[in-house]
Amino acid sequence: MIYADKSVGVIVQNITGRQGRFHTELMNDYAREVGGRGVVAGAAPGKGGQEVHGVPVYNTVREALREHDATASVIFVPAMAAADAVMEAAHAGIELAVVITEHIPVHDTMKAVAYAELHDCTVIGPNSPGLLSPGECKLGIMPAHLATRGGVGVISRSGTLTYEVVDELTRAGIGQSTIVGIGGDPVIGQTFVDALAEFEDDPWTEAVVIIGEVGGNLEEEGIRSTDLPVVAYIAGVSAPPEKRMGHAGAIIEGGEGDARSKIRRISALDVLVASRPSEIPELIRGVL
Amino acid sequence: MKLLEYEAKEVFSKYGIPVPKGVLIRAPEEIAAHLPEIGDALVLKAQVDVGGRGKAGGVLFADGATAVETARDLFSRDIRGVPVGRVLVEEKLAIEHEYYVSIAVDRSSRQPVILFADAGGVDIESAALADESAVRRVIVSPLLHDIPPFLMRELLGDAPKELAPAINRLYHVFREKDAMLAEINPLVTTPRGVYAADAKLIIDDNALARQGIAVNRDLSEREREAEKHGFSYVELGGSIGVIGNGAGLTMSTLDLIEFYRGRAANFLDVGGGADQERVMHAVKLVASMPGVNVIVVNLLGGITRCDEVAKGIIAADVPPKVIVRMAGTNEEEGRELLAEHGYRMLGSMDAAIRAAMEVSA
Repeated sequence: MIYADKSVGVIVQNITGRQGRFHTELMNDYAREVGGRGVVAGAAPGKGGQEVHGVPVYNTVREALREHDATASVIFVPAMAAADAVMEAAHAGIELAVVITEHIPVHDTMKAVAYAELHDCTVIGPNSPGLLSPGECKLGIMPAHLATRGGVGVISRSGTLTYEVVDELTRAGIGQSTIVGIGGDPVIGQTFVDALAEFEDDPWTEAVVIIGEVGGNLEEEGIRSTDLPVVAYIAGVSAPPEKRMGHAGAIIEGGEGDARSKIRRISALDVLVASRPSEIPELIRGVL
Repeated sequence: MKLLEYEAKEVFSKYGIPVPKGVLIRAPEEIAAHLPEIGDALVLKAQVDVGGRGKAGGVLFADGATAVETARDLFSRDIRGVPVGRVLVEEKLAIEHEYYVSIAVDRSSRQPVILFADAGGVDIESAALADESAVRRVIVSPLLHDIPPFLMRELLGDAPKELAPAINRLYHVFREKDAMLAEINPLVTTPRGVYAADAKLIIDDNALARQGIAVNRDLSEREREAEKHGFSYVELGGSIGVIGNGAGLTMSTLDLIEFYRGRAANFLDVGGGADQERVMHAVKLVASMPGVNVIVVNLLGGITRCDEVAKGIIAADVPPKVIVRMAGTNEEEGRELLAEHGYRMLGSMDAAIRAAMEVSA
C-alpha cells in the first residue's frame, strides 16, 4: 500500500461540482465499508457553509484544514483553474494532491508541479483516475468493486484500461496492493520512477504491473530504476505517428515514443511485456 | 497545433526576435510589388506543414529578374504531396554561422528543456544522433520568467554572447504562447546581427482557446465534428470501426484487432459517463466512414450505464453490424435490450474482437 492508508483524512476541491459530488459519495461509501476516514471536508470558492452528502464545504483549502485533520486532496476543479487549485492545496499544507481533471494546459501543470514540490506536496496526475488500495482507501474515481487486496502493485497512465487489467487480475485470483493512475498527460507529478520507488518501500507489494502507452519513454526509465519484479503492457502498437490517441500525452512525436520500440527496449531489460491485457495475470504469476 | 513558418515568425517578431524582411504571397504575380522593399536577393519558402521541406524542393532562391518565374515554379509544386498555396518571400541573409536552438517540454524532469547546437541546419537531427555532445541541454524551472545567466552561459559555451537575447526571447514565446515546442533552426549570425532564419511553433491543444485560436487546423473535418461531441477521434483506414471509453482501453482495443490480424477503421473515445445521445452520435459517426462493415463497442467503467449505451446503439440503427462488449452499471438490462433488437453482447474484449473478425472477413 502506497501514498495513503485508511487513517488519511481527505478533502475534495470543487466538491460542489457534478463530479465532485458524485465521487465524494462513492469515496465515503468505500471509506465506511473499510473503516477509513474518507472525505472529511470540501472546498469550493463561494460555497462555504454548504454541505455535500453530509460533508461540510469551505471557501478555501486553508479554512477546511483549520477545522479538519486532512493531508490529502482530490481535485475535480475545471481545467483552466486546476493548476491554481493544486498550488492552493500545496500552500495550505496538503501532502498529497490527486488531480482528476483532464485538459489542463501543460505549462500550468509544469508550474503547479514545481510549486507543489517547493511545499513538499506529492502530485498524482493530472488526468488521473486516482488511487485505490483495496481494503484501505480510495482517492479518486476508480470502481472499487473490481479490485481485491493482494500483493501486486499496478501503475498506469490510463483509466478504463486499468480497470480492465485489475478485473483480469482479480478474476485470476491475484490481488492488488495499490492501483495508481499516474495520468495520461505529457507532464505528470508522480511518474513510473516515483511510484516504483514507493512500491519498493512497501512491504505488501511483491511485484508490479506497469500499464504504459505511446508517448515519451517514462515506462523504460521506471523499469530501469527498480529491483522489483515487473510485468509491462504498452497500449498503442497500432497507433499512427503524430496523432494524439485520446490522452494529451499519447502521441508519437519526432519518431519517438512508439509502442513497438518501447516494447523492444523494455524486453531488452529482461522484463516480460504482455501482448494483450488478458495475458497479464499469467505473466505476473510467473514473476511472483 | 502547429503554426506555419510565417505565423511563427510573426509571433517571434512581436517578442523582439529579429526575423528577415519578408512578405506572404498567395499568387506568383504578387511578388513584383514587394521587390523594392525586400531587395534583390530573395528566398522563396513554401508555407506547407511538411518536415524536410528544403530537401523536398520547398525552398528556392531568386533575384529580381527571376522572382516571378521562380514563384510560378514554386506555386506549381507539390511538397511531399502537399500543394503550395502560400509562399513566404524573404530577403536572403548574409549568413556567417548557423546555430540550432529549441525549447520543449521535458516529460522526465517535468520542466522546459532548452537544446542548443553550434551547428544548425537541415541535418541537425542526424548530427545530434551521431554525436550527442554536439547538442547542449539545460533544464529551466517553469517558475522562472527568464533563463538565468548561468544557464545561458552553460547553454552557449563558446558560441557568441550576442545570441543570448534571442534565446531568452524564445523562452518568453515558449512560456507565454503555451508552446509544446519553440524552435529556431537555423538561428544565424550576419554582419547586421542575429536572425531567426526559420521558425517553428507548436501550441498546446489544451491552451488554444486562451491563445485566441478558435479552430485546430491539425484536425480533419470529421475529427473536428467528433471533437464537438466531446469525442477523441482518429481515422485509421481499416474496416473495423471502434468505439471505446477511455483512451487506453480504446487504444488497447485497436491493438487487439491488430493482434488478431484485422485492421481498425478508427479510434473513438466517447469519454466517461456516455449517455444514449452521445453513444448514438458515436455509432453514426463511425458508421459514416466508407468501408466500415462492423463496429466493436468496448465500454467499461463505474459510471457508464449499460442500458443507456444499449439504447444509443439501438437508436443509431446503422447498417454495419455492431458487436458490444460492456461491463458496468445495469449490465443485465443492457444485455436484454440488445438481445431484443438482435445485437450481440460478449463478455470479454478478446471474444468481441474475434466475433468482429468473423464478420469483417
